[in-house]
Formats: sequence, structure tokens, C-alpha cells
Amino acid sequence: MAAALPFRPRRLSRLTNRIMHLALWGLALIFVLVLALFIGSILKQGWSVLNFGFLSRMPETLDAGGGIKPEIFNSLYLVALSLAIALPIGLGAGIYMAEYAGQGRALRFLRLCIETLAATPSIVLALFGMIVFVQMMGWSFSIRSGAVTLALLNIPVITRVTEMSLMAVPRELKEASYGLGATKLQTILKVALPHAATGILTGLVLTAGRAFGESAILVFTAGTNTSQTFPDFRLTVPGETLSVHLWYVTSDGTLPDAREIAAGTAAVMIVVLLALNLSVRVLDRFIRRKTR
Amino acid sequence: MPEAPDILLDTPACAPGNMPQDLLLEAPGGTPDLRHSRAQRLADRWAHLVFLACGLLVVALIGGILYFLAARGVGAFLPLAGNTDKVLTLREVFLSADWDPNAGRFGILPFIAGSLSVTGLALLIAAPTGILTGVFIAKLAPAWMKTLMRQVMDLLVGIPSVVYGIFGLMVVLPWVSGKWLSDSPAAGFAVSAAILSVMIVPTIVSLATDAFESLPLSLDEGSQALGSTRWQAIWHVLIPAARPRLLTATVLGLGRAIGEAMAIQMVIGNNPQWIALMRQSTDQTPMLRFLFTPAATLTTELVQELPNTAAGSTWNNVLFAMGLLLYLMTMLIILATRRLGQRRNA
Repeated sequence: MAAALPFRPRRLSRLTNRIMHLALWGLALIFVLVLALFIGSILKQGWSVLNFGFLSRMPETLDAGGGIKPEIFNSLYLVALSLAIALPIGLGAGIYMAEYAGQGRALRFLRLCIETLAATPSIVLALFGMIVFVQMMGWSFSIRSGAVTLALLNIPVITRVTEMSLMAVPRELKEASYGLGATKLQTILKVALPHAATGILTGLVLTAGRAFGESAILVFTAGTNTSQTFPDFRLTVPGETLSVHLWYVTSDGTLPDAREIAAGTAAVMIVVLLALNLSVRVLDRFIRRKTR
Repeated sequence: MPEAPDILLDTPACAPGNMPQDLLLEAPGGTPDLRHSRAQRLADRWAHLVFLACGLLVVALIGGILYFLAARGVGAFLPLAGNTDKVLTLREVFLSADWDPNAGRFGILPFIAGSLSVTGLALLIAAPTGILTGVFIAKLAPAWMKTLMRQVMDLLVGIPSVVYGIFGLMVVLPWVSGKWLSDSPAAGFAVSAAILSVMIVPTIVSLATDAFESLPLSLDEGSQALGSTRWQAIWHVLIPAARPRLLTATVLGLGRAIGEAMAIQMVIGNNPQWIALMRQSTDQTPMLRFLFTPAATLTTELVQELPNTAAGSTWNNVLFAMGLLLYLMTMLIILATRRLGQRRNA
């Protein structure tokens, strides 16, 4: 008779355990590899095209050798405009949800709406923008149609980030503010929002990245060509962005060097997004240090 | 901004003992007037209304999108004011696979089937790998690997869909057709689903990681005390315990996949008659034919054809009906995740 029970898993179980452990590591490493391959190949394809001339020339419609100068401008301009439209609305809705709505049915319904808007495919938003701004308002394919429709994409993200950042403000801070006789508005503006500001800022940078990469919405609202003057701040001219340009040159197929231009544009976008990502990381670290 | 609270904060006189006395001294009538000024109260009330209005705007947007899409989409089936063209029956649109707009045939079944196929295939890849990666990040990975994986997923989710599309077009399609298809074109469900799965995996991974991290530690400890291996604990205890949230994660991944347009449009081949083409060709096994026939989905067809159609035409209205269908699917998906969430709380 054995003196002690064998408190060890069976051989087979131990083997499965070992194998699955390795498999999970492998799976995770595959994702790292996929990302590296992805970014590497995009940058490699675009590297030969990327030079100052490419970034500073106007695009061509039929000949080779076009640049992407106005597209870069339009991308930044549209992102800035759409954020400017979405920020007050998103902030307001986020503040309402975090500070006013309580815990009842109203809040649940509002949250359902925000979630639905966040999950709405951008092509559906594009259809909405096309009906309402391009056709009904008569704005046609223009920067303003694009900016307003793009704002619809940003609003739910900003709302959620604002709500979560405000929820994370310690209760004691707000109570102290009330205790000193501040009104609710004063408490929100001078205590809660400053405390949540860095979190909201991180969310804004992420939103900017999303808006920067968006294409479906802008194809149907901001159009697929650009103004011939540079820089053109008018809101009524069409404004093709980098991502739309990238899509349009490959699917349109009139340019002899569409492939090179697409590769170069993709590389520019990846570089911009990597920079944005890095800035989020720096911001995040800054927040952590501040709150510790 | 010299308002009362700020000044009180700075003066040493606001030590707890002094404050009531100070206030009392200032009020001549004996009882201090602790109410806010009229302007402040008004500002407070108006601010409340403004914030509420922002919230209501979001609600109005949801309704507005539904209204305007429906106004156009339903126009295909009803003789509405904006409809200048002929009227179709629901049957010949939703139950017909015959898409030939120039001949007046508008069966959108190929696109619905296409959307479901590509989404289903993508989920088939993304759901298991996403959930397993979630387990890995939450339970097995050392700290440095956790940070690395978070960053990888952040980057993957931040890459725009057109860049995914161009990657598919320039790298994946040539590679697949050269490697496996002896240089015949590779556009179709397989490559689209592969790219789509990479696009939705971050969503599933981050939600799955949260799900596993929020499980009580006692589950882990309990199963280990009973002598299970790490994998047995994961497979028999942790995954079943997290199942409702894993399902939510998968459904949200589904929502992202079904609405994706540009990346798929660039690699799927855009062939509305894909069902017929698949039936005709006999040179490969059915599975391979299904995977590598150029096809189309609801979203890709919208991107492809909407710019070419005139507003008010039947063709245009049917395209808007497809958009409406996508929107209703999104709503359904969000409601489904709600339902799943409620069951978790119960």
C-alpha cells in the first residue's frame, strides 16, 4: 500500500498542460509577428516613394509623379474640424452621464444609444451624412459635410472617455468642493474636469487617430478630389484625405503609378499613427506619474 | 475668478474652528445666508439643461439615422414622394439572388450571404484565437509580455482599414495566389476573412482579457487546490466561468466585422454574381471555390455602386435599404450584448 496518495496530475494532463502553454505563447508571438510583418512591409513598400517631393507636390489625375501635399493638409484639417465639432457635444453628454443622470432608466437608455452610435458601421454614418448634409442641406461633397459626418464617429468615443474619466475622479474631491459651498457647475468645471483632463486628452488623441484613418465616411461626404489651391481653408471645397486618396488611387486605376502612390500614402499614414500612438503612451505615463 | 470657494481655500482663516464664526459675523440678521447667488443658481440650472441637451442630441442622432435611412430604403418598396422609379416587393429584393440592376432585378441575397460568410469565417478565426490570447494575457504571460501584447493590440486596432486593405492587395493576395493557387487570382472570402479577423481580434482580446482578469481568484486557487494543472483550470473552470462575457466579446467582434467596408472592398473582388460564378466553375473542390471566388458583401456593394447611382432611382433606394439592413443588424447586435450582460448580472 502506498504511504501517500499520488498528488500529481496524470502524465497526460501534464503533457497537455505543457503543450497548451507553448501553444498559447506561440499564438501570442504570432500576433507580434503579424504586426511586425504588417508595419515592416508597408514601410518597406512605401520607403522608395517617400521623399520630400512626394510630400510637397500636388496630386496628378492622369500622369505619374503626383504628390500628396493637399491630402496631408485635408487630413489634418478635417480631423481638427471634426474634433472641434464633436468635443463640446461629447464632453457635454459625458458630463451629463457621469454627473447628472443618476443610475436610473434614463442613464441606461442613454448608454444604449451611445453604444449603438459607437457600433454603427462607418458606412452607415456615411449614408446618413450623404442624405442629410450632402443632399438635403445642399453642401455637396465638401469639407463641411465631411467634418460634420466625421464628428458623428467621434462623439460616442469622446462621450465614453469623458464619462469614464469623470467617474474616476475621487468622491472626496467633489464632496470637499461641495462642502466649501461650490455649486454643482463650479464643482464640475473647477474640480472634476481638471482632474479628468489628462484622461480625456488621451481619449482625444485616440479619437484623432481613428478620424485620421477613416475613409468610408469621407468618400461619400468629403469627396475624392481636392481644391487646386493650397492651403485652402474654405469649407465648401471637396477635401480628399490621405486615407481616401489611398483607396481612390487603387480602386480608380487611371494613374500609371497608383501602386507607388498608394504604398507611399500608406507609409505616411503608418508613420503618423505610430507617432500618435507614442504620444498616447507618453501621456499615459505622465498621468500615472501624476496620480501616484 | 475670485469666487468664494477659491478664496476660502487660500486663506488660513478657513480652519475648521474659525469658519462658522466668520460666516456668522458677516450675516447681520443672526442667520447666515448660505445660499448661492442668483447668477450662480441660474448658471447651474442652465448648465444642467445644456448637458442634458448634448445627451439628447445623441439619442436624436440614433433616431435620425434610422429615419433618414428608412425614408430612402423603404422608398424601394413603397410609392413614396421621393421615389421616381418603379416599386419592388420585399420578396424580390430579400429572397432573390438575382442582382442585375440594369435589367431591373434587385435581389440582394448574394450580398447578405456574402456578409454573413465573410463575417462568419473571420469570427471562426478571431474568436478562438482572441479568447485564448485573452487567457494568455490575463493568466499566463509575465508582466513584460502583458505590456507588449497590450501595445500590439492597441496598434492593430489603430491601423486604418484602408491600410489593411492595401496590405491585403499588395502583400497577401499576390503571396496567396503565387504560393497556393498557381497564380490564379486569390480575391475572395478567404483573404478577406483573414484580414478581417486581424482587424477584429483586438476587440475580442481586450474584452476577453478583462473577462478573465475580473474572475475571482478563488476559482483559480480552488481548482489548483484540487490538483488540476494550469491548463485544466483554464479549460474546465475559467473559460466556462467567463463564458457570458466571452460571448459578449465575440458578438461585439461580429458587430465590428459586419460593418467593415473599405478593407474588404479592396480584396474581395467585388462580384455581385458570385453565387452563379461559384456554381458554374467546376475546376476545384467546392470548398476552394467558395473561398477563392471573387464575391461581394453588403458593405462592399455600397462602396462600389452608391457613387454611380442617381438619388431617387430604384437602384439607389435598394442600396439605401441595404444600409438600413446593416444599421438594424448593428442595433440587434447591441441589444444582444445587453441581454448577455443582464444575464451575467443576474
